[in-house]
Amino acid sequence: MNIHEYQAKKILSQYGIQIPRGGIAYTPTEAKRVAGRTSLRGPWVLKAQIQSGARNEGYFLEKKAGNKGGIRLSKTRRDILKQSEQMLGSTLVTVQTGPKGKLVSRIYVEAFEKVESIFYAGIAIDRINAALTLLVASVKKEDITQMAVNNPEQILKITLDLQGEVSPAQVNQVMDYLKLKPRSAKHLETFINGLHKAFIDYDATMIEINPAGVKRSGEIVALDAKISFDDNALYRHRDIKRLQDDYENSERELQAAKYKFTYSEFDGSIGCIVNGDGIALAAMDLLRSKNVGTACFLNVKGGVDKDKIASGIKIIMTNPRVEGILINILGGFLRCNLIADGIISAASEVGLNVPLVVRFEGTNKDEAKEILQKSNLPIIIAETMEEAVDKLIAAVEESD
Amino acid sequence: MSILINRDTKVICQGITGTQATFHVRRSLDYGTQVVAGVTPGKGGETHLGLPVFNTVKEAKKATGANASVMYVPAPYVKSAIKEAIDAKLDLTVCIADGVPIKDMLEIKEMLRHSKTKLIGPNTPGIITPGQARMGIFPENIHQAGNIGIVSRSSTLTYEAVLETNRAGMGQSTVIGLGDDMLIGIDFIDAIERFNKDDETKAIVMIGQSGGTFEEAAARYYKEQSIKKPMIAFVAGNAIPFGHKMGYAGDIITNGYVSVQDKKDALSDAGVIVVDKINDIHKELQKLS
Repeated sequence: MNIHEYQAKKILSQYGIQIPRGGIAYTPTEAKRVAGRTSLRGPWVLKAQIQSGARNEGYFLEKKAGNKGGIRLSKTRRDILKQSEQMLGSTLVTVQTGPKGKLVSRIYVEAFEKVESIFYAGIAIDRINAALTLLVASVKKEDITQMAVNNPEQILKITLDLQGEVSPAQVNQVMDYLKLKPRSAKHLETFINGLHKAFIDYDATMIEINPAGVKRSGEIVALDAKISFDDNALYRHRDIKRLQDDYENSERELQAAKYKFTYSEFDGSIGCIVNGDGIALAAMDLLRSKNVGTACFLNVKGGVDKDKIASGIKIIMTNPRVEGILINILGGFLRCNLIADGIISAASEVGLNVPLVVRFEGTNKDEAKEILQKSNLPIIIAETMEEAVDKLIAAVEESD
Repeated sequence: MSILINRDTKVICQGITGTQATFHVRRSLDYGTQVVAGVTPGKGGETHLGLPVFNTVKEAKKATGANASVMYVPAPYVKSAIKEAIDAKLDLTVCIADGVPIKDMLEIKEMLRHSKTKLIGPNTPGIITPGQARMGIFPENIHQAGNIGIVSRSSTLTYEAVLETNRAGMGQSTVIGLGDDMLIGIDFIDAIERFNKDDETKAIVMIGQSGGTFEEAAARYYKEQSIKKPMIAFVAGNAIPFGHKMGYAGDIITNGYVSVQDKKDALSDAGVIVVDKINDIHKELQKLS
């Protein structure tokens, strides 16, 4: 789960990390009022709150939002009114949002901080070594996007302990790498320890400060902040779960999440229902190799009941992009007959208007096939994944 | 021969009195697996599925001489269950649960580093040596004893790979689902190393997927160790057009964004036979004989 910048900053500030004065605004007048509270004379930075990086380099889909990106500098309060008017209610597209973009429903208004230099800092999980890694990059000339792709070896990586604090030697390593002046040392230590402790305390999977600023006084200030949390650990953090922004997800995604399914949408025409991420990926690969795109996939995972399955299938059936449905279930934990019952119950409720091909394998597969055959629904049964994909493509073409 | 488990493996089931555990342990017993005891804290002294139930893994091991465990405990309890298996010095523990918090896994991996216990999972269908032993949730009816070792990160694609070996008329020596969580116990390298030493395994099928760099590491290992046994690999996730993501940290850790094509290229370069479609595996297997 992700949260917005202003929420992340609030959490980090509780760990001693300095953030610029700021406040959240849902309307232009609110933005103007907040600006007055954060700084007397400005300037101010207006930041569109969507859960994505590269907002400054992004663009708005609506004409009314003007040509600038999602992060704007304002020198007067009158301009704040104008700029927030433009951004609020508009859709911001960045390299990380995909072409559909995300709706801006709130703006974070901050007092502009004058800094001498900036750097990138983050903590992420190194999967191969099963360790926490601190990432620091000097981003004077090149932005981190380019550096991550072109010169990843220039980024400083330090393995952090799961317990305890960052060692003085590690702090020195970062000091040297960033060529910071001695007066920054204790601020840097607080900054890194703050990130580290927040990461552990909140079961984060990623924290990123892009960028952090170094002030003339040597103080370090987080000019931006992103935190991603481990969905599987949210049961330990009710306060974080409350921050979930439903606007960030589509309605169908939310419905699927209610049943503990995962659901993703793409821009093709086939809806896939599967019981594992691997099989979803393989089905999409196979479809693409035959020049057919995937509209969405629903992963129903394992150990579910018939009613939940039916609700899941309805999510796919009501996606207007879907011109054909592929159900590919390899039952281990999940028993195929439950899926068959779910298909029939969903079809009887919302109707079956597009071709549906089913492929079952594993636990109770024969029972499942029998259930479908007895139903008299126009369901096509296949034996292998490739056969299922071929039969579905043929059926979709025929129904055109 | 086989790897990690066989007919002599003595298995404890952790969390044996749960519904899923009951369903699957019964099937494992019917399959011939030597499940010798169960563990459910507070239910020690009872009998379940005809097996003695103990309060702790240590007690169960002492009473039965078990050397492995399979656990069907829910995610929040996985950390303490694995700790018990490690403390009891079992050779192997298999964790089926999905949804284990990553921080718990970081701590578990730290414990494993200092122990002799090998972990398979979490979020795995488990491990099966056809005709001998089954630990986990594999649909045992699709397996046939044979000479192909299968190791997979994806649960469901493991079954697909099994079916491919059957289509080739070959069967499996041992099948391992590594689990497709962010952090897992043993990885490809562990499995490849063991399959390579196993006389009965003539070839290896490896199923990877997008995310992480486990496949690159496997490719490097295969090449550096000059492994002679043929290996066929499929990597899922080529068609993912756009992943919504936050930030860059993930890409930095892996030294730049790693695509499925990168993984396939790394494997190809290492001398692994890479297929674009999972249903082509049987054709490549047939070419080997």
